Amino acid sequence: MLYEQKPAMARMFFREAVTRAVREEMTLDPHVLILGQDVGAFGGSYREFDGLYKIFGPDRIRDTPVAEAATIGIAAGAAAAGYRPLVSITYMDFLMLGFDALINYAAKLRYKTAGGLSAPMVVKTTAGAQGQGVAHSQCIEAWLMSVPGLRVVAPSTPADAYGLMKTALRCDGPVVYIDHKRLFPTPGDTPVTETLVPFGKACIRRDGSDVTVVSHGYMMRVALDAAQIVAQDGISCDVIDLRSLAPLDIDTVAGSVERTGRLLTLEEGQVVCGVGTEVAIQTFERTGPKPWTRIGALPAPVSSNPVLEAACIPDAPRVADAIRALLAR
Amino acid sequence: MTHIDPVGALRAMLMIRAFEDALARRKEHGFQLLSSGEEAVAVGLVSALGTGDQLLTGGRSIGPALARGVAPERVMAELLGKSGGMNQGRAGRGHMSDPQAGFFGAHAVVGGNISIAAGVAMARQLDGDGGIVAILFGDGACGAGALHETLNMAAQWKLPILFVCNNNQLSVSTARDAALAVANLSDLGATFGMWARTVDGLDVQGVAAAAHDAVRHVRDGLGPAFLECTSIRLRSHSTTARETRSRAELAELQTHCPIRRHAAALQADGTLDDAQLEQMRQDAATDIAHAMAYAEASPYPTAQEALRHVV
Repeated sequence: MLYEQKPAMARMFFREAVTRAVREEMTLDPHVLILGQDVGAFGGSYREFDGLYKIFGPDRIRDTPVAEAATIGIAAGAAAAGYRPLVSITYMDFLMLGFDALINYAAKLRYKTAGGLSAPMVVKTTAGAQGQGVAHSQCIEAWLMSVPGLRVVAPSTPADAYGLMKTALRCDGPVVYIDHKRLFPTPGDTPVTETLVPFGKACIRRDGSDVTVVSHGYMMRVALDAAQIVAQDGISCDVIDLRSLAPLDIDTVAGSVERTGRLLTLEEGQVVCGVGTEVAIQTFERTGPKPWTRIGALPAPVSSNPVLEAACIPDAPRVADAIRALLAR
Repeated sequence: MTHIDPVGALRAMLMIRAFEDALARRKEHGFQLLSSGEEAVAVGLVSALGTGDQLLTGGRSIGPALARGVAPERVMAELLGKSGGMNQGRAGRGHMSDPQAGFFGAHAVVGGNISIAAGVAMARQLDGDGGIVAILFGDGACGAGALHETLNMAAQWKLPILFVCNNNQLSVSTARDAALAVANLSDLGATFGMWARTVDGLDVQGVAAAAHDAVRHVRDGLGPAFLECTSIRLRSHSTTARETRSRAELAELQTHCPIRRHAAALQADGTLDDAQLEQMRQDAATDIAHAMAYAEASPYPTAQEALRHVV
């Protein structure tokens, strides 16, 4: 063949990729609904539902009062009764208000009914720091990864935002879909034809041989920036985007660590019982122990104060230093 | 006008009482939430529901499930953790369900099933199939934020849901008056503009009449309704919880027993004589003995089942 065949791509912003996935799934399946604060004519707090209200109307796109507990509960009940609701929770910090319905009911429904009922619902929520303070900045995805029956995904690119959302809206159990405030305005190529990204498949974003760097969500951009920095020192990073936190793709991470012999995990949340700790232990169960460094937020709340926020959250120079230190071990 | 067959109502209440007594008598009965004293609420409410409707409850779910027509042997097996249970013994007390029987299920986090029920009601509304949902919860749930959030949204969206508070006046050991500031618990529904009423939950015919009115309101698309039924709890909170009331108090409560009261009324008006009543008691005991035998004979799940149906 003269030319390599590549799928046709369209450039779009992260938030537009979310909109496109939801629009396509709502068109295909009349049981897909959206519930949440300001999701209707307003189009979502990040304009991620722009234009959908005009197409699908108030029965299928419902603005809710400030009532996260009941909203997630209503979604879980509707899901158990045959619908596929997407609930928008503006800040991941507020997800805590709906934990009973999500964790005590939806995640356990298939188990406790011996497969008779399930709750196919997507809780779309937004993680991360962007100057909004101690209760609007947290990344608590690691809390969710330990809940049996719950799937957790966190895209870092528009293509994955699109493909993971489509998979989430077809999934037969509850999914927490985590985007990041700083990702909404980022552009990227997405396939023109309908494409799903499967859960439980990580993606190698940069090939390298000296150290494996594992991250997800917005921190992928920090990881790739750090890999670029240390490349100038001749250090070659294999950079893996987890994309799916539950289930985890340990095959891909362990395969990489077998090649590089070192692991650095990076996340914006806390490292104690964090995503990186879980990735590392599951990897080392396969590969045996390897040199490992974990990086996350400082063990402190994330302030809206710009100096304190920046101090708390990992950045590329700090990650680059940690990579060098890991190589020097 | 009668809304419920009086003899059928007595039979259903006797069956629930016999079931719970048999369960409590079993040496290894586990942690169970019994509803003796609250039978008239379950039986009266269910008399107003149709086959296309769904009932959800909090953890105190044995009476409502039996009243709804879930087979007693399957309920008993479920409560004892046996494979013959309606959920293969894995839900157990407080979490059992049988949607085919119109019992969408229990969720034993107090107040937790109320928003779930509203979601099931939203599905009914979107389907436009005329079905409604009833959610039964205790006075203990009336302080929970999930109830207040759900009342608001259900009223706003005119969901086809009937909120039924079985006010047994005790939340474990805390008296209703010490926990809740409102005068009547039905005022909670009235605040949101709902059809709202408080009735004597020890009078099965009164509960049935009020439930029929409420269901008609909901089914007519007029929005949700809130029915408070004031009842009593004749046993402690659970089979493992300490009883906080004195023997004298408990003996006094027995004089208000809804089954005794209804049976006495049927004897007084000549519907039943002593022999017939005794026969009904024996029939209930025999039926429950069969249910218990089925449950005892049913096997436990294997340990390998622990990982089934997780995701």
